[in-house]
This record gives sequence, structure tokens and C-alpha cells, in this order.
Amino acid sequence: MTTPARVPRWFTQAAWYLALIGLSIPFVFPFLWMVSSSFKNSTEMFAFPPTLIPETLRWRNFVQVFEYQPFAQQYFNSVYIAALVTIATILVSSMAGYAFARIRFRFSTLIFFLMLTALMMPIEVTIIPNFFFMRLLGLVNTHVPLIVLPVFGSSGVVATFLMRQYFLSLPTELEEAAMIDGMGRFGIFFKIALPLARPALGSVGILTFLYSWNSFLEPLVFVNDLNLFTLPLALNTFTDSYGLPLWHLQLAATTLSVIPILVVYVLAQRQVVESFAMSGMKG
Amino acid sequence: MKLARFVLPAVLLVALTSLATAQQLRFTVWSGNEAHLSMLNGFADGFAEMRPGVSVQFDVIPFGDYVQKVTLQLAGGNPPDLGWLAEASAPTFIDAGVLADVSDALRNDPDYDFADFSEPALGLWERGDAVYGVPFSTSPFIVYFNRDLFEQAGLTPPDVLAEQGAWTWEALKESAAAIADGSDAFGFESVDGEGYGARVWHTLVPIVRGYGGEAWSDGACRLDSPEAVEAVQLYHDMVYEDASAVPPGEQGDFFTGRSGITITQLSRVSKLAEADFDWGLAPMPSGPAEDVAVIGQAAVVVFEAGQQTELATEFLAYMTNKENVAVMAEFFPPARRSVLDSEAFLSSNPMVTPQQMEIVASGIAGGRVLPNHPNFPQIDAAARPVFDELWNADADVAAVMTRVCDAIDAQLQ
Amino acid sequence: MDQVPSTPATPRPQKPPPRKGARSLRALDEIYGYLFVAPQLTGFLLFVIGPLVAVVIYSFQERNLLTGAVTNVGLQNYNDAFFTNPTFWKVLGNTFVFTAGLVPVNIALALALALLLNRRFPGVTLFRTLFFAPVVTSAVAWAIVWRFMLQGEQGTVNQVLALVGVDGPNWLRSPGWAMTAVIGTRVLKNVGLNMIIYLAALQAIPREYGEAASIDGAGRWQIFRRITLPLLAPTTLVVAVITVVGSLKVFDHILLMTGGGPANATMVLVYYIYQQAFEFFEIGYAATLSVILFVITLVLTAIQWLVNARRS
Repeated sequence: MTTPARVPRWFTQAAWYLALIGLSIPFVFPFLWMVSSSFKNSTEMFAFPPTLIPETLRWRNFVQVFEYQPFAQQYFNSVYIAALVTIATILVSSMAGYAFARIRFRFSTLIFFLMLTALMMPIEVTIIPNFFFMRLLGLVNTHVPLIVLPVFGSSGVVATFLMRQYFLSLPTELEEAAMIDGMGRFGIFFKIALPLARPALGSVGILTFLYSWNSFLEPLVFVNDLNLFTLPLALNTFTDSYGLPLWHLQLAATTLSVIPILVVYVLAQRQVVESFAMSGMKG
Repeated sequence: MKLARFVLPAVLLVALTSLATAQQLRFTVWSGNEAHLSMLNGFADGFAEMRPGVSVQFDVIPFGDYVQKVTLQLAGGNPPDLGWLAEASAPTFIDAGVLADVSDALRNDPDYDFADFSEPALGLWERGDAVYGVPFSTSPFIVYFNRDLFEQAGLTPPDVLAEQGAWTWEALKESAAAIADGSDAFGFESVDGEGYGARVWHTLVPIVRGYGGEAWSDGACRLDSPEAVEAVQLYHDMVYEDASAVPPGEQGDFFTGRSGITITQLSRVSKLAEADFDWGLAPMPSGPAEDVAVIGQAAVVVFEAGQQTELATEFLAYMTNKENVAVMAEFFPPARRSVLDSEAFLSSNPMVTPQQMEIVASGIAGGRVLPNHPNFPQIDAAARPVFDELWNADADVAAVMTRVCDAIDAQLQ
Repeated sequence: MDQVPSTPATPRPQKPPPRKGARSLRALDEIYGYLFVAPQLTGFLLFVIGPLVAVVIYSFQERNLLTGAVTNVGLQNYNDAFFTNPTFWKVLGNTFVFTAGLVPVNIALALALALLLNRRFPGVTLFRTLFFAPVVTSAVAWAIVWRFMLQGEQGTVNQVLALVGVDGPNWLRSPGWAMTAVIGTRVLKNVGLNMIIYLAALQAIPREYGEAASIDGAGRWQIFRRITLPLLAPTTLVVAVITVVGSLKVFDHILLMTGGGPANATMVLVYYIYQQAFEFFEIGYAATLSVILFVITLVLTAIQWLVNARRS
């Protein structure tokens, strides 16, 4: 049964598009403005009325970003730390998640719920004792805390939670068959369960990478040397000697830090959605 | 082949001995400015000539996080050897016992001439006979004005008014209003444009003092006194009645020509290098009560927790000797009288005429630092939210100032 | 698991009894279980439970980060927080306002966007990408840009509003609007993630349900309310828990946008903890606040679970 169309189809289509475009403006405009401002100098940035297309393209801003501090090194730091955190988290949390989902062992439920408490803990709460602990180990001003803390903290627990959900949703026949054939747990895990868990690993990888990429307080507390900074810290450091932001440098650097991630995301967009879709995150 | 056998041990030996004699001092600063850093590295090189094998590494920490990060470093077991320290943190750090007393080394060296330092400038850094820091920058707040905007509005510029003895806060208010009325620009921009945030003290205290008030004294808050209220009311009127002062959240950057007057320190003059307008400097306006200049200070300190306090003290002494203070004078107004009085100082900055430098010199000689207190972070945190209540058109200034005092009284004990 | 009915015609081949292998596997399972969780558990004890215990201990002390001085003061910190220090209640109030403002808006918007984009039309992928883009941006970057755009008269937002004749407020500088601005920009940053989760869930709902209902004469809204929404309940629970817990942790966004002001209007509990620990160096009091925050988070999560359990 179709209702007689009183409104022409193209009109509703256009209305939909307009609504979507309107909705997406606050999501997109900051990027446009950020990119455009990164080409301006301070005067033009605050000019009134504001210009979206800069009058002159000051590529110099981007060069200055690298001259002001070891920005390339800091960029690399963020990348490799996030990569290490992601790999370590995937390993540790998939093992733990599998165990909670599939292996019966005493206190497993208790331990799992205990770990969920880590989710309730903002990093600000645990960071001071962790700071003292790292000091004891002589690991302050290194990258070690930045790699280790996310793996075992709330980010890692979220990962374990997701992996457990996913493993719970897998049918058990394959594993049972393998068990009958005499395969041990490690074998079952590495050869059967893990390969099947790719969508969940995808979600976990993405979330963990983003968490590490964006973290601000941990590097602030643990890292002193400019060479060891990560991107969020570095972006915040583009200030002059009086603490005032050097807008043109900050925005140019922000553009540089955001564009590659966006490009990767756009290219991998389908996989991202599929990962979440199949990972059982929906409950 | 036989020779090769000796090469490796020899290399190791040389490496080991150079490791033994190679010492590095870590020095935290908050300026990433190229010119500043190359000057500092110049000092490091000069020091290395005196003490071979010693190098100095300057770590730049952004000003906004400086105190936190230095504290974390001190608490984290890898303390820096030396560092800059701003006046606001001086009482806190001295009380905490984390700064080394350098008085012996400085007083006992005749070449150093410790007496050359102006007493008022040292005030904040001394406790009795002990000296916990040597100020490298004693920078008075001065008035910058946009000559073009003044001409456009047909006003007598501040430097001329100052010579006539007519450069008062009232005169500043009127000039700002005239400029704002007659052009697109604002009349007045608060210190670094941050007058409603981090620099609210810098903005209000000079006016308060000019009217005979003070922030606090003898453990009691005096911001609710009639003089202080009158002073703050003047500024409030500038923002909300005259619409001449840049209001909270707006941009009115003096250094890009968007405001007619601003008050800030000498070092900002480097921002005028690319200015497309004619500008000038003038002393702070005088109030009905006092003419005392307000100064901001930063000192070099040695950290007690560092592993090489003796060597660090030596470097501090080197950096702040007569010769090097004269070099620093290009960027950082000195606390040494001999340098202040010298011709070289008056012509040390290519952008500033000797006459203008006189303003700076007299500011240093008699200036007082902003109100300070060991609990300053807590006082600031308690006061600022209340100050925020000032910034709307119908604020009752007297009532707000009373509430500020209520908020900070406990901390002032 | 499933019993395969054996028919006389085709007898099912007998499986060899797996009991022996399975029994030893089950016995080994105890060991394997612990082995598999050992890495995470060890790290958890070291870096989460250990610090939590330490924080509880600190909460009964006065401990200064700069001087290193430590004094035991019993319940004084708790007393200060609840009874002496008025800022604590203001901060607590702000925290609840922030969470109560952010969570419903975020969830509702995420669901709305997911519904809008749960169909095939040219450009749907582009729009999904656009709405998710802020999620992958760093909070620092997002806050920097928005802080600039939300300035008084000259900020981009107010200039756009001026084009349609609206006099925009001084967003970040007026106590009333600052919280709105902070919530709004935070929602924009993260809603894309919840949208993707809802999208995934929506795609798992078979089309037939909706089609059958519309054949029966149900309108779109009814289909949504009676079929879609209940089917999304597990997802909504997950999203709600994540968003609530996440909102109680928001710190760097507020630090960069308003610095807790104006007049402490946007100072939330986590920021207050940061201020105590890193600006005043009062580790003891910061620890007390942390314990309180932890308890609040636990209670809120427990409430959500119970509400959901009761509903199903």
C-alpha cells in the first residue's frame, strides 16, 4: 500500500540532503577553518570579516612548525607508541578475553568484574601513584609508561571486554572439534579463535590506537624532553615565551597531525564500520 | 694488526675519561625564542671555555606548564640542575626548600660584585642572608601606544602628556574612549590580551596601587578598600561604559594595530618588528596616590635536588656576572645597577630609543613586584572565579571585591 | 550440543568417546585460564589496583608533591570536601550537569544520525565519514579550533549567527553559556563513535520486521518505537554506560576550552582533581577527591545495569 505522493520525490530527496548537509556543518567546518587558518599569518587570522580562503598561502608556517621544535620526531613518537600499544593490547586482551569467554577456571567471573573497575578509573586518579612507581623504576622521562599504562589500564580493559563479547558470540563447534583432535588451548587460540576474531581485533585496534594517539595527561606527567614529546603535547607547546598560543603555528601543526589520520580513516572507512558491526559491540 | 689491538682499548680509555670529565648541566627555561636560545647557548660556550668538558643543555618547557613540569621533574627523581623561575612561584618554591642557597658563592667572589644588584630587585629572592635566586629579568610594565591612532583622533600622545605630568589613569581612559569612538580599533588592550584570565592581577593591581590601594598586606586582603574599588571601577567603566577596552573573549591585538594602547613589558617590543603603524612608549599612568612602577621578575635558580649544585652555582654566577648581564640586557632588563646606568644599556635594543629606555630604567629602579604569597596558586584559583563576576555590564564592583576578599582571606594567613 | 536425531534408516556414525582428552583438557583449563589472563591480570594489579590502594591511603594524608612532606590526617580531607570547602559541591554539581547534559544529547543524536544514514543513497559513505571525522581527531586539536571559533563578537560562530540576525552570546566567557558550549563541542567530537555502534546494530535488524509491520499499516514512528527501539535496547545500554563513564572522565577538553571557568562554571570533578594534584601539589586532597569520583562512577554504572536488568 503506498500513500499517494503529494510531494514530488525530488523535493524530499533535496530536503534530506539539505538536512544532512546542515547537520554535518559543525562537524566539518572546524576542519576547513583549521586548514585555511594554517596558511594565514596572525593578522589575517583575526581579520574581520574572516576569510575562508586565505589571501596568500603562507607555506612558511608549515616549515616553521618543524623549526620550532623537533616536530617530525614528536610525530614519529606518537605513531610508534600508538602502534606498540595497539599490538600489545591486541595480544594481551585477546588472550584474556578468550580465557574469560571460553575457559572455565576458578574465580574467572570475579576477576573479570574486578577488572571492570578499571573502566571506572579516570587516569587522573591513578597517575600519581603510577608516577611514584615509575620513578622507583627509573622510568620517568621515557616512553615506557606511555606504552605500558594504556595496555593494562582502562583502555586495555575495554579491549578485553570487547574480545570477550566477541568470543562469546562465536559458535563453539570448531573449537570442540579441535579439542577432540587433541589440540591444546594455545593451539586452539592461535590457530582457530584468533583468526576468526578479526573484526573484533579491528575494533580493538582502532579504539586503542585512537586512545593512545589522543592521550594528553600521561605524556604531560611522564615526559620532559622535547624530543620525547607526543603530538598532543607538542601541539600545546606552540606558545611564545609568555604562554600565549602562536596560533599560526598551532593550527598548521594541528592540520599536519589531523590530515593523515583522516586520510587513513577515509580509505579504511568501510572496514571500520564493518569491524564495529561484526565485533559484537552492539551488545 | 698488532696496532689494531691497542686501538680499541685506547679508544675505550679516551671515551671513559671523557665521560668522566664530561659533565652536563640541565637548565630549564620557558622561552623557545631563537634569539634567546642562541644567547643562552653562547653563555654555555663561554662557560665551557672556563671549564672544559662542561656543557649546558637548555630544556624548553612551555610557560603554561612550566611550574607543573618542573615540580614533576623535582618529584620524579630527575631534577634539573638550574632553571628559570617566575616571581609568582618564588615564595612557594623557597618555602618548600627546593632551591639552593647561593649566597656564599656569590658574596665571596669579589669579581662578581654582589652589591651591584639593586636591593629592591633582590627582595623577593632573599630570606635574611640567604639568596635563593638571581633575577635575570626585572621588567617593568610600560605603556605602548599606537601613534597613528592618537594622531587620527587628534589626541596628545602619552609620552608628551607624561612630560607635562598629565599622563594619569583618567587621561588614559579618555584617550582610549576617544580612539574607540573615532575608529574601528579598540582604545585599550589589557596585558597580552589576557586581562580576564591569567593576567587579571597584572591588569588590575597597577591601577589599584595608583589609587593608593594594594592587593593584600600583612596577611589581610585589601582589595575591598575604597581605593581599590575605585580603581577597578575605572577599568570596569572602560570596558562597559566607554566600550574602549577590549572586552573578555574578544581579540584586539595591539601589535597588529587593533588597539590604541596597551600595557605590557619591554620584551614584547620584538612583536612590533613587522608593525605597519607608528608606535611609541610611555611610562605607566600616575594615579592620585602613587607613581610606583610594577615589575615582573624572573630569576635563575639552582635546584637543591640536583646532583651538581656546586657546578650549577658556578654557572649561575657566570651567567649573571657583569659582562653577561649586559648581554642579556638586550632582551631582559637587568637588575645590576652598573648595567642599568650604562650607555650601553640605553642603546641595547635597536628598536627602542635611549629616551624610551630611560622609562624602563626608572621603572626598574623603583618598581615593586606584583603581590606574591607562598599560597599564590591557591589564592589565584580562589580569586579568579570571583573576579570573573566583574565582567558583565551590571556588576556591582564593590560587592564583587568584597567577595574576592572573602574567598582568599583564609589563604592569606 | 545439538542432539542429532538418529533415524533407523541412516544410523549416525558413532563418535569415539572424547572423554579422556576432554577431561585432561578441562583439568589443564585451570592452568590455561590463569596463564591466558596472567599478563593482563599482573599489569592490572600493578598499575590499577596498586595505585587505587595507594590513592585510598593518600586520601587520609596531607601529601605535598613539591616538598615531599607527608602527614596523616585521618578523615580531615573528607571533612574538608563535604563540609568545609564550598567549591567541592559546586564542582560536584557541575559534574552532574555536564554528564546529564551530554549523555542524552549524545545518545539521541547518535541514534538520529544512525537512522538517517541507515540506507543506501549516493553519498551515504561520505556523510558517515564526515560525522566520524572528529572522533579520530585529537581532543587538543578539536578544542583549539573550537575555542577560536567560539570567541565573542569575532568568533566564527557568532559571525554566522549575525548573518541571520542573532546576537550570539560570549560563549566561553559567560558562566551560563560556557557549560553549553563545552557540552556541545564535546558531543560533536564523540557522537560519531556512538553513531557507528548504532549503525552496526541497526544493520543487524532484519528488514522483514519493519516491512511486515508497515504492511500491517504501522506508520514509521510506530515501527521505530515498538520494534526498532526495543531491539536496540542492549546497544543503548552499552552506549549509555560507555558515554556516562566517559563523560565523568572528560578533562583535557575542558582544560583547553575554558580552563574550568568562567567563575568555575565548567570545573568538573576530574579537572578539580588535576588542579589539586598538579597546580597546588596537594596529593592527599586530590586522592580524597579521586576516591569520591570512583565511588560515584561505580554507583552510576551499577544503577544503569540494574535498571536494564529490571527492564528485561
